[in-house]
Amino acid sequence: MPEHHAKPNENTISQWRQDLADASPQTIVAFALEKFKHITISFSGAEDVALVQMAAKIKPNVSVFSLDTGRLHPETYQFIETIRNTYPIDLKISFPDPAAVSELTQQKGLFSFYQDGHKECCAIRKVAPLRIMLKHYNAWMTGQRQDQSPDTRQNVEVVQLDKAFSSPQKPLIKFNPLARWSSQQVWDYIRAEDIPYNPLHQQGFTSIGCAPCTKPVLPNQHEREGRWWWEEATQKECGLHVRTE
Amino acid sequence: MHITLVKKILKDGSACKKCADVLNRLNKNDQMKFIDETLTADERDLNSPGMLLAKELGIEQAPFFVVTTNGTQKVYTVYFQFVKEVLQQKTDAKEDAQDILDQNSDLDFL
Repeated sequence: MPEHHAKPNENTISQWRQDLADASPQTIVAFALEKFKHITISFSGAEDVALVQMAAKIKPNVSVFSLDTGRLHPETYQFIETIRNTYPIDLKISFPDPAAVSELTQQKGLFSFYQDGHKECCAIRKVAPLRIMLKHYNAWMTGQRQDQSPDTRQNVEVVQLDKAFSSPQKPLIKFNPLARWSSQQVWDYIRAEDIPYNPLHQQGFTSIGCAPCTKPVLPNQHEREGRWWWEEATQKECGLHVRTE
Repeated sequence: MHITLVKKILKDGSACKKCADVLNRLNKNDQMKFIDETLTADERDLNSPGMLLAKELGIEQAPFFVVTTNGTQKVYTVYFQFVKEVLQQKTDAKEDAQDILDQNSDLDFL
């Protein structure tokens, strides 16, 4: 089927959401690949490998990309290579702008995020390269799930207009095929399909990002507690406690 | 147009880091000249002008900008959005990226 030529609008996306209301992740992946020729998959080197498996089964040479921030764990780099060698995919690695990284580290050192928060570094090492990467595509898929963060993911839909990276001239569609799956379901799938996984998971890492900003979590700790754990207090710092009681 | 900046003072008397960062950017980019009024939201004083304005507007974080045009108020809690929409100045790729991150909390999956 040819690529979806008309610019998708909120009505189209709403209809797709209805069409996919009870769809499995595999069906959503197939739907996305059918609708869009210029589509890519974000692969972080974690359990979103499940998406790579689903897509590669349907469309060999499917486009996949990883953001090499320069600060990933050695295990993650090895794992990305394992995936490159395991699947018939077109794996692209994107890198941050060296000048921007140099400016940050010259001014603030290599660990400024522990004092100033992670966003400045993430903007340079992740968001800016992601923005450049996504300019080449009309749609992308992520491994976002609703159960990953009670604060920021509850409203993740299986398909949505990506308001972060769309422009009025070029809407970008984001598919989140795993949105309704739990972590348990993802891991059941990984085991059932005998999919390779990042060895960091065996060391207690549930969420895997950059090495300085990710740590293992204890049983029953939420997976997001392993990310930017030092920031809770500073984030609260920005709040204004204006109530008088 | 009247632009009010509200910055915060923490309970220990120090400036909040995010406010200091925004003030640095405003100074560095020669944008303080566009700010008509700066109010302090002092956590030690709930009746400080910034705290009262935050309460009146229902704003729960600082810093923030209140832009009043022809009697209509609009609040900006994201510096880069304020710069682009109100000052109509360009921001660089790094600033744009940070703006995207500030406005899209779900990007923490990256």
